[in-house]
Amino acid sequence: MVDHLGLPRQMEASKSPDDFIPAALAAFGVEADEIELAVMHAAHEVFWPPILELLALDTGGVAPEPAPDLSQLPPRR
Amino acid sequence: MSEPLDLPLREQATAVAAGELDAGELLEAALERIEARNPAINAVVETFPERSREMLAAAPDGPLRGVPVVIKDEWPLPWRAQRFGAADMLAKTAPGESGPYRALRDAGAVVVGVGNMHELGSGSTGNVSVYGPARNPWNVERCPGGSSSGPAAAVAARLVAGAIGADGVGSIRYPATYCGLTGLKPTYGRSAMEGHHMAGVSTTIVSGPLCADAGDCRLLGSVLFSEELQAREPRGLRIGVIENEVSEDVSPAVREACEGAIEELRQATGGELRTVELPELPAATLATVLIANSESLGSVTPQRLNNLNPELSPLGRGLLKYRLMLPAVATVKSHQVRTMARQQLSTVFDEVDVIAWPTVPAVAPPLEAPLVELPSGTLTADAANVRGGALANLTGIPAISVPVGFSEGLPVGLQLQAAWGQDELLLDAAEALERASQRRWVEAVPPLASTEQAGA
Repeated sequence: MVDHLGLPRQMEASKSPDDFIPAALAAFGVEADEIELAVMHAAHEVFWPPILELLALDTGGVAPEPAPDLSQLPPRR
Repeated sequence: MSEPLDLPLREQATAVAAGELDAGELLEAALERIEARNPAINAVVETFPERSREMLAAAPDGPLRGVPVVIKDEWPLPWRAQRFGAADMLAKTAPGESGPYRALRDAGAVVVGVGNMHELGSGSTGNVSVYGPARNPWNVERCPGGSSSGPAAAVAARLVAGAIGADGVGSIRYPATYCGLTGLKPTYGRSAMEGHHMAGVSTTIVSGPLCADAGDCRLLGSVLFSEELQAREPRGLRIGVIENEVSEDVSPAVREACEGAIEELRQATGGELRTVELPELPAATLATVLIANSESLGSVTPQRLNNLNPELSPLGRGLLKYRLMLPAVATVKSHQVRTMARQQLSTVFDEVDVIAWPTVPAVAPPLEAPLVELPSGTLTADAANVRGGALANLTGIPAISVPVGFSEGLPVGLQLQAAWGQDELLLDAAEALERASQRRWVEAVPPLASTEQAGA
């Protein structure tokens, strides 16, 4: 189906800041100058690879600790 | 060490209480010393002599009566709103009585100045601030650490004997290490936080003491906790060590100093070393950063981001805008990683009393280029430091950084972490380590703070 729209059959994950930051800024309506863009590019290169690793982690089986009391050890499971 | 200001915090307090030291003279000496030494390190960004004298005049007979201290630019004072080291902090602030201020006032302490900090609390180096960078008293071309840069540099330069910092992702422990101090990150919720612009929102930030040694941290911590942190002799300490990048991707000198200190601590307590595993540690590090960064987003709007104060650093502006792009699903997963990490730690602390690893993997980097050389290659100090600092903030456990040596003339720190509520054990262990090393690291003073050389 997507072939008819001229889109690739499957989107591949991109780590490139150029594929992400300008589009995100435009979507939020946020302006950025060249220096800020450079900072965001650097941040993206640091943060995005581990974020992708985190997203790949299936945490669906983790029972939630609702409103955890961080001053105490968690309830035993 | 003949000047009263060079005495430990607890000895200043004892001498004032005994009438052996005039608190008025001590305050004036602190103000004079700040004037003399601070220009080289930019640790204290504001003094208010009349307010300080009024505090002293009204000081009750508390455990810190008449003792000068510095507080980080992260809490309001009745006469001054915090600026968070930034020209624009996106949150409304006003002068007021914060929890740490009230604790200090009720203990009789005298707030003598406000400590510099890394802009928006978002760096481990202290080299970016609306006030200009703070500098490391051990080498003014090196970073003092952040974000509690000013409190640490002020104590290291002996402008005061104690300071209040804050730790959201290692921000007390990093500067404690870089400046050769002892810094305690308390169990979450145990120390005063009222009045902080993130109080009730942040699940990572705590207030805590930065002092020359654990004894002073115990005293200042007791004030912040509003309870006496009792001392006990730690015997048979079970010390957990970990075999991964936080203890192995570390500069050789830091690794040697920390391994030596861990062995000294084991011998001093008649304890044992046990290897522990924390498989979620890398994910926990990212989770901490994502949670800490997302919790501050409540006041962020696209319109606000388009109208940031131009005096905010380009780094701060760019990072604030980047935060908007963090995917919500990553934050959701981060909270699940927090649950996993807390469960893992609760099991680990069945087996060990403390976990030990280097607080940071390399000594203080240059101010102009805060990069560190590690066995794995060159990293930004922020990226390297967060690996070891984040876990305690994510999970709520207490942690302490203790000076354990020098490399390149700069201090090295060892981090000890314990189970929830075991802050006292960390202080006990730190004191045992001080005794085992004949206190040579906690009594080391930078040349800038040597009374003979500095004059004041």
